[in-house]
Amino acid sequence: MKELRRNMRFVGTLVVVLFVGLAAWFAMTVFTQGSVWASDVRNSRLRATASLRGDITDRDGNLLATTADDGTRQYTKNALARRALSQTVGDTAGMSGTGIETFYSATLLDISTSLVDRLSELMGNARHVGGSIQITVDGPLQAWIASEFPVNEDTGACYRGAVCVMNYKTGEILAMVSMPNYDPYDLAVRTDAQVEDTAYLNRCLQGLYTPGSVFKIVTLASAITNDVNVVDQAFSCSGEWDYEGGHIVCINRTAHGTVNLKTAFKRSCNVTFGKLAYQLGLERLRQTAERFGFNENFKFGDFVVYNSAFPTDISDMNGLVWAGIGQGKVLVTPLHMAMISSAIANGGVMMKPWLIQRVANSAGATTDTGAPVQYRQVVSASVADRIAEYMYETVRSGTASRAAIQGYTVCGKTGSAEVSDDKTVETNAWFTGFIRDDAHPYAISVVIEGGGAGARMPSELAAKALKKAIEYVG
Amino acid sequence: MRHNKLDRMKRALMRSNTKLLLSAVMLFQALAMLLIAFQKGTVNAQALVLAAALPAGTWLITRLMGRVWPVDRAILILVLFLCSVGVITLSDIAKSDITPRTQAVYALGGVVAMFAGAAFIRRWRHWKKTTALLMGLCLLALASPFAPVIGIYKYGARNWVGLGPISVQPSEFMKPILILCLASGFSNRPRFARCVPTIAFAALCCGVLLAEKDLGAVLLYFLTTVFMYYVATSNAFISLAGLGMGAGAAVIAYRALPYVQDRVAIWQNPWIDPQETGYQLIQSLIAIGSGGLFGMGLGMGMPRDIPLYHSDFIFASITEEFGLIFAIGLLAVYVLIIMRGLIVAFNARTSFHSLAAFGLVIMLGLQTMLIAGGNTKLLPLSGVTLPLICYGGSSLVSTFFSMGLLLGLSSMNAEDEARDIETLELREEGTF
Repeated sequence: MKELRRNMRFVGTLVVVLFVGLAAWFAMTVFTQGSVWASDVRNSRLRATASLRGDITDRDGNLLATTADDGTRQYTKNALARRALSQTVGDTAGMSGTGIETFYSATLLDISTSLVDRLSELMGNARHVGGSIQITVDGPLQAWIASEFPVNEDTGACYRGAVCVMNYKTGEILAMVSMPNYDPYDLAVRTDAQVEDTAYLNRCLQGLYTPGSVFKIVTLASAITNDVNVVDQAFSCSGEWDYEGGHIVCINRTAHGTVNLKTAFKRSCNVTFGKLAYQLGLERLRQTAERFGFNENFKFGDFVVYNSAFPTDISDMNGLVWAGIGQGKVLVTPLHMAMISSAIANGGVMMKPWLIQRVANSAGATTDTGAPVQYRQVVSASVADRIAEYMYETVRSGTASRAAIQGYTVCGKTGSAEVSDDKTVETNAWFTGFIRDDAHPYAISVVIEGGGAGARMPSELAAKALKKAIEYVG
Repeated sequence: MRHNKLDRMKRALMRSNTKLLLSAVMLFQALAMLLIAFQKGTVNAQALVLAAALPAGTWLITRLMGRVWPVDRAILILVLFLCSVGVITLSDIAKSDITPRTQAVYALGGVVAMFAGAAFIRRWRHWKKTTALLMGLCLLALASPFAPVIGIYKYGARNWVGLGPISVQPSEFMKPILILCLASGFSNRPRFARCVPTIAFAALCCGVLLAEKDLGAVLLYFLTTVFMYYVATSNAFISLAGLGMGAGAAVIAYRALPYVQDRVAIWQNPWIDPQETGYQLIQSLIAIGSGGLFGMGLGMGMPRDIPLYHSDFIFASITEEFGLIFAIGLLAVYVLIIMRGLIVAFNARTSFHSLAAFGLVIMLGLQTMLIAGGNTKLLPLSGVTLPLICYGGSSLVSTFFSMGLLLGLSSMNAEDEARDIETLELREEGTF
């Protein structure tokens, strides 16, 4: 009987512990996921509720969305700004699934108010107005960048693409421009078909692009991390390289001659970086890429971002060489590319990106504030500094010279990503970089679909956007 | 004179201050039902009747049972509380008044079953001799849904039996019987060889239930058997081997049965197919998220958006209406019953009674965790009922019967203890 009691005590304790675990898990998921679940478009309580949506403001308090006295939802008056912010702010119809209006509808409507609120509403007769949300985005900056987005001279229409600006010291997202965009007012009067194709997509979060040469930052980080002597190694480039099972060329078959790593980086030499990837091997390159967040299920909380991919099933040399220059099956979102630049700028520490600066309940009391959180030390500070130096050279005397801003130290990397095998489609043009300045710690990524080689347009746009960020955000 | 003293003593032992608990439960029942009665424009007469009937019934049953036997009143009151939470929730969320009324009638039947259970376990002395017969009856009952005419196929499982106007679920009613058979078979610290018939019986039960596709019941029967075997024999090796075999069987079942794969896939990511297979779970999570910390309020939410809101997903419905804090409190009530039940198991005088009490509470705990975890996406949904709360007669009556067994065991402990104290006193007085 004594043994029986001992065993029963053991199993009984186990069951009670499991219960405690269940309750803790339950509480934790409701706490972290509850408002996301409640904001689901399939939640009919949101439509049934009599309460009005609260305000959405930008980092300076500019109203981005508010509910008028007659109950209609009002967005920014300026049509251009309204369109520029469309996917970030969202719309009441929930067309842009990642927008604040959709993703935070449970908070904005405040469908499960506290007991105190409910009682006070019973006393008064006013219609319940939900909570308000302040985001880290600078509204005027985002509108300005969208207005500067280059126009394709062949078609007369704006290029498609994205610009993501963030503060690399804090992780605040300052702008998320996604082209094309839409006017939330149009949804009420026009049919869905008249909104431009893919305009609901927030390309910063949902656009998975082949990175091309901007991925060389990761290949470089992997090489220096694994063997710092690689920086003194001499590579020879004749403009093309034939290897077992494949063939790689530099842009315009330019022969870079004998180069060291720094020169190869600033001139974006494909042959050198292909050789570098081969020298590293798949395993080491994949490890570094995964440190940078590739193949990771990002859960940042404030928004949903698609997962970037680095191939794990490469079996031949050809795949490895192409992965080293960001081609093949490598995919990245513009936000993630901005995070990669941010990590380099921030001494190798990647900050968690965040969008929600402040959440207030219907009474105006703050219930939640965003704060900088370190995501991960991606590379060591010395490696990050070395890469930053190379990126500075790239802007000073390399392919990204158009990104320079007078009076500031801009570091960057260009890229042009092949999106078709037979070169019938223009390459996507990339720029990613940052300002090396403690007072203006801004990182940026720009992608212009079909923007062509040379990366002239994204570099110029990045310089303009960063300059404006200094002016507007301070 | 002496008899009177003994009587008073055993009552005092088990009364332990439950008056406050009883008052709190009655107050909750009355207030909640009054709220439902007067919430809409018209007065809900049935809710008004229940507002009086629930507390009165709770009080009466507690008094009555406490008078007949010195049962553990804390368990009794908490069991009645959980049952009333079910009736209250159904009054609030069900489409028609018939559902809560039916549940209240089932509850009355359950109370009768509870008295029967307590009386039965107190009288059942020749368990060793009758176990074989009980096992045979149990298997026969479990297999009855396969019988022609009376067997019914429902919700993708063949586990119902129609007897004239009523249909019952034998797997529910056989839960306490299984535990009694196991407790009898595993009592007196047997060697493995002597356990084989009992284990074979449990395995047969699981096999029959598997054939009926009643997977939740298979899981419950299996885990309860393993735990009871372990505590009875201390044989960790065979228990772990049993768990391993169960895991192996689960993998085979996963490979072979497409509906098991579906369940697991839904659990992993319901958002892949939000309109069809993932619909239930997504609506459950939406309801839980909408409820938040304090809930939408009784009568304020829309839990009817969840399919099976009154049965498989009643835990989600309760969370939406009453909030996260209440739902966790509800889990705590189950834990309290389990802990009081474990005390009953510790104090029992024979290993049979001890094992029976242990099995009853462990099955209650496992069942609660399976369904609460299923509603909250911690575990794949297995379609067992939330004990005492979920709508449905078979489960309610059977759980009441189980709790009756537990209460009967607690009363036997109290009597034994009182007798011990009396013996001690007599020894001190020098009468012996």
